[in-house]
Amino acid sequence: MRDVSFGQYYPANSFVHKCDPRTKLLFLIVYIVAVFLAKNFYALGACALVFLAVAAFSSVPIKSLLKSVKAVLFLLLFTAVLNLFFYNGGDVLWQWKFIKITDKAVYFTIFLAARLFLLVLSSALLTLTTTPIALTDGIESLLLPLKWMRFPVHELALIMSIALRFIPILTDETGRIMNAQKARGADFESGGLFKRVKAIIPILIPLLISAFRRADELGDAMDARCYSGSKVRTKYKKLKYGWRDLLGLLVLGALLAGMIMLRLHTPAVI
Amino acid sequence: MEAIKFEQVHFSYQADEKDDVFSTDAAFSLDGMDFSVQEGEFVAVLGHNGSGKSTLARLANGLLEPTAGKITVLGYDAGEQKNLFEIRKRVGIVFQNPDNQTVASIVEDDIAFGPENIGVPREEIGARIDFALSAVGMENYRHSTTSRLSGGQKQRIAIAGVLALKPRVMILDESTAMLDPRGRKEVMDVVQKLNKEEKITVILITHFPEEALLADRAVVMHRGKIVMEGRPEEVLKKEDELAKCSLVLPKPVKLCRTLCKGGLPVSDAFTAEEAAARIIETLEDERVDYTRLKTVTSQDEETIAEKGETGGKGSVYCRGLSFVYSPSSPFATHALNGVDLDIHAGEFFGIIGHTGSGKSTFVQHLNALLKLPTAEKKYKPKRPKRGKPMPAAAALKVNGFDLAKKTTDFKQLRRRVGMVFQYPEYQLFAETVFDDVAFGLKNFVSDLDDTKMEQAVREAIETVGLNYEEVKNRSPFELSGGQKRRVAIAGVIVTKPEILVLDEPAAGLDPMGKEDIMSLLHAMHKSWCKTVIIVSHDMDEIAENCTRAAIFSDGKILAVDEPKNLFKTRAITDTAGLEVPFTARVVECLRDYGLQISCDMTLENLTENILKIAGRGGACMRSNTVNGGCDHA
Repeated sequence: MRDVSFGQYYPANSFVHKCDPRTKLLFLIVYIVAVFLAKNFYALGACALVFLAVAAFSSVPIKSLLKSVKAVLFLLLFTAVLNLFFYNGGDVLWQWKFIKITDKAVYFTIFLAARLFLLVLSSALLTLTTTPIALTDGIESLLLPLKWMRFPVHELALIMSIALRFIPILTDETGRIMNAQKARGADFESGGLFKRVKAIIPILIPLLISAFRRADELGDAMDARCYSGSKVRTKYKKLKYGWRDLLGLLVLGALLAGMIMLRLHTPAVI
Repeated sequence: MEAIKFEQVHFSYQADEKDDVFSTDAAFSLDGMDFSVQEGEFVAVLGHNGSGKSTLARLANGLLEPTAGKITVLGYDAGEQKNLFEIRKRVGIVFQNPDNQTVASIVEDDIAFGPENIGVPREEIGARIDFALSAVGMENYRHSTTSRLSGGQKQRIAIAGVLALKPRVMILDESTAMLDPRGRKEVMDVVQKLNKEEKITVILITHFPEEALLADRAVVMHRGKIVMEGRPEEVLKKEDELAKCSLVLPKPVKLCRTLCKGGLPVSDAFTAEEAAARIIETLEDERVDYTRLKTVTSQDEETIAEKGETGGKGSVYCRGLSFVYSPSSPFATHALNGVDLDIHAGEFFGIIGHTGSGKSTFVQHLNALLKLPTAEKKYKPKRPKRGKPMPAAAALKVNGFDLAKKTTDFKQLRRRVGMVFQYPEYQLFAETVFDDVAFGLKNFVSDLDDTKMEQAVREAIETVGLNYEEVKNRSPFELSGGQKRRVAIAGVIVTKPEILVLDEPAAGLDPMGKEDIMSLLHAMHKSWCKTVIIVSHDMDEIAENCTRAAIFSDGKILAVDEPKNLFKTRAITDTAGLEVPFTARVVECLRDYGLQISCDMTLENLTENILKIAGRGGACMRSNTVNGGCDHA
């Protein structure tokens, strides 16, 4: 069960799910740039529209999307409050001793919050519609040009995919070790900070030792299966671009062009 | 042609590589080994832990280099660095732990890993995956997630991963040691098929004599040398020589031998069916009219009578226990569905069932690692809906503690109900054996003076059969596998629990290690531990050790009874998809021959009852006829 829920992948068979991970990664990167290019609410509105359109084609329920915002809600609120009270300039709307709120501060706060909101939602949409494995493949493929700089692209991707594979195993193992130590009277829930940190040791040490043991055995198994780095290596799964990706990239181009146009021809709020 | 040839190979681990090796320096090393395997052969290598048999596998594949001697693999000299790649292409190894040899999360990606490494063109890799998956019979799992397969399936995927390299030789390094009987059979079926149909040379490293019987040739290793060699049927009946190497006889041979010692000259057999046939033959030779005997019952027919109310010390009282993992989510699974069970004080109780049958969930309730909803801090009783009766709440009483109440002292409960998890040695953490064993005691009893503490720890360590003075200041991590497990068990029994629950206490050990652990448990049970509960999927273990057992299936209890009734017919075990113990199979075969025999399903009792039928009294009465009556070398 854990391997399904982790990485928050939402299994479905939608347009967005079927897109090549490289397209989605590229889309996200350019989308982030576009959101930062937006300097007024028209531009931000355009970005939001594009997001809504993509989300509509992803068959991911709004609930799951909003859940990802929940994780950064505190950060969102914190920056909003800071901006609201400490932004200088504009007409003062309300003042109490040294704290004042200006009209520009309200604008700015709303704008920044909306921007952050969009960034979080769009990244969440990527991880919700793409399996961690597809993501690694996409990253590897996108980084491939760095290979001539002797950057170990393949090794990096392999490390990432092995790490992903061992997450469910190590999660299970952590649960097992915790239960075993609990059965021996260990208490992880009460006491001060120092006591709690100390209580983790009987979990952490067996977990570390097991991770090293597993790494050792996996290394042997990989050696035995002729692993020798990327020299002669071929790749079984090749990512393929399809018509969906073309469509996606067209939308992306339009968005970028539109952003630049808006930037040049509409006044900036901030 | 020779697939693998070892000539006077010596090997010893360097001092710095020896971190997980204990006791003698000789352990895991090879001492002038001569060994060869012909192409197409199926060789079983037997040996106890530390005999050097795993070192053999790693040397043959170039994962290790010999310190002296010559290894030739399919014509390639393994001593030459440049040959290693060619050798590894042709010699595949399947290791013990299925989780630690899979590289990718998806089955087909993992199988592709090997061919990718040797630069097989993309189009051909697809065909190789097809071939490998069909060879291990897992075509339907191509796109499955590896971590969600069963142990046997994972190991078959590991075999497929090796097969995709199209090897000529496959080495299985204790690949079945961590599997349940069903998984073990799955893997062994695949291995036999590969040897016969694909003509792949197989080297099977194992400590199960039953598996070695499937090979063309058996080799026994001891202290880095080959001490016995020959047809498995020849090698596996040399009891004394095997014992010298800390190995045991296969169960059928053991049965025939004990019958011989009791005065019934039964010749050796290697399966339950064969053993039954030999017994019948011998009885006929001895002119015993066995068909007239209607039923021969064992002497101690007294059953464990219902000892009245359960719920007091040493007992378990459970009614209507249900449990759902991740409720109100799409992944909700009903692990337990209304379990009723009584375990009486003084029992040696067995819990049987497949992975996912709910047995682990059940035992985790026994010391409140999983709590009943009514015992949760946040629990508020719900009002029943109008017109509907109040749903009956589950009841669970263990060792006198009421586990359905919030106010129960769960810490005291855990002190009184000890729990040993599967592979407990992986939970060791302290710097010294003493500290690790004392951990639980310190948690449960805050104001214990040093002398009392030391006494308790000493007693626990000595109970598990270790020398206190020798191990107390050692790091638990430098002990051998079997010793680590003992230390881990000592860490639980140090509080002298009235109920001891063990999840697969003998998993992964060799047959002798298993016997040791079991006799350890019996010793504790006799002296101070009121009730022992073991979870197991080894039917022989249950039949040999338990007074009663419960069979779990799909979150429910299928049957609770004494082994002799549970395994009398296959009705119950078949429903649960379980095997029957060896003794039950012999009894069944004997019945088919018309010999009505009943026994309590232990090997000892079966032997006794057969001897009784043959008119032989006690087991030792006619020991002088042993040599005369039996034609063993």
